[in-house]
Amino acid sequence: MIPALTAAWGAPRVAGIEFPFGRPLGQPHDAGTQRAVLRATLEALRGVEEAGTIVHLPFEWAELADRVQWHPKEPAPIARLLRRDPAAFKRLVEGELPSEASRRR
Amino acid sequence: MPAPDRSVDSFKYLSPASRAISESMIARAPREPVPWTPLSRPLSASTVSLVSTAGISMKGDPPFDAEGERENPWWGDPSYRIIPREATEADIDVSHLHIETAHIYEDLDVALPLRRLGELEREGFIGRAAPSHYSFMGYLLDPTEFLEVTVPAIIERMRRERVDVAVFVPV
Repeated sequence: MIPALTAAWGAPRVAGIEFPFGRPLGQPHDAGTQRAVLRATLEALRGVEEAGTIVHLPFEWAELADRVQWHPKEPAPIARLLRRDPAAFKRLVEGELPSEASRRR
Repeated sequence: MPAPDRSVDSFKYLSPASRAISESMIARAPREPVPWTPLSRPLSASTVSLVSTAGISMKGDPPFDAEGERENPWWGDPSYRIIPREATEADIDVSHLHIETAHIYEDLDVALPLRRLGELEREGFIGRAAPSHYSFMGYLLDPTEFLEVTVPAIIERMRRERVDVAVFVPV
């Protein structure tokens, strides 16, 4: 759910929404918003005529950004690793992947 | 309330570190022309399939390999699972270590809106929901195996089911 990243890496049509990670369609049991978001996403298909276009969907998340709980209770393994290893973080930002990224073990 | 003409902030919920990684990935994206496929028929006659990055699997199928990622944090499971159109939150597991998955267990439609797609089918807004929908686990720093093995398998099944529109739903 980082529309700029999705578009940069070649999705032909992108409908961007400013909803938190994990809930791209809306809150649990909010069928009205979920349906409106899916419908607006499909409608974007009809409007876009050029690859790489981002349609910005006009939905607002009700909670303030710093109140939103989207992180897992246990931090992701890579987040812990990078916090412990600033050099690995720097290499990742520079686009360097270790060979471990390509195989399970 | 909808506010027209606003731009979505792609980085609104990211920490500075995650934002730096995302911006670096955007800067390194290949500058190649993107293949363009026009809609082959109106939406009201199209078959639609959903693809979620949430790492959703059917109970009874193997879940995504979260243990492998815990052992080697640079790696993510590059496989996929088929989610039939009738699936609900009672039928699934979610294996994604980068998001709070409780909301999806509470209501699958927050990430894989199968009930909402069924409603749009009954309204005639789309032609039909495909029999099969898909999920993979979106944390893949090296997507090579995903692109070489998983994506062609998904495309082949979509073609067999005569899918016209694939809606990719990142989380």
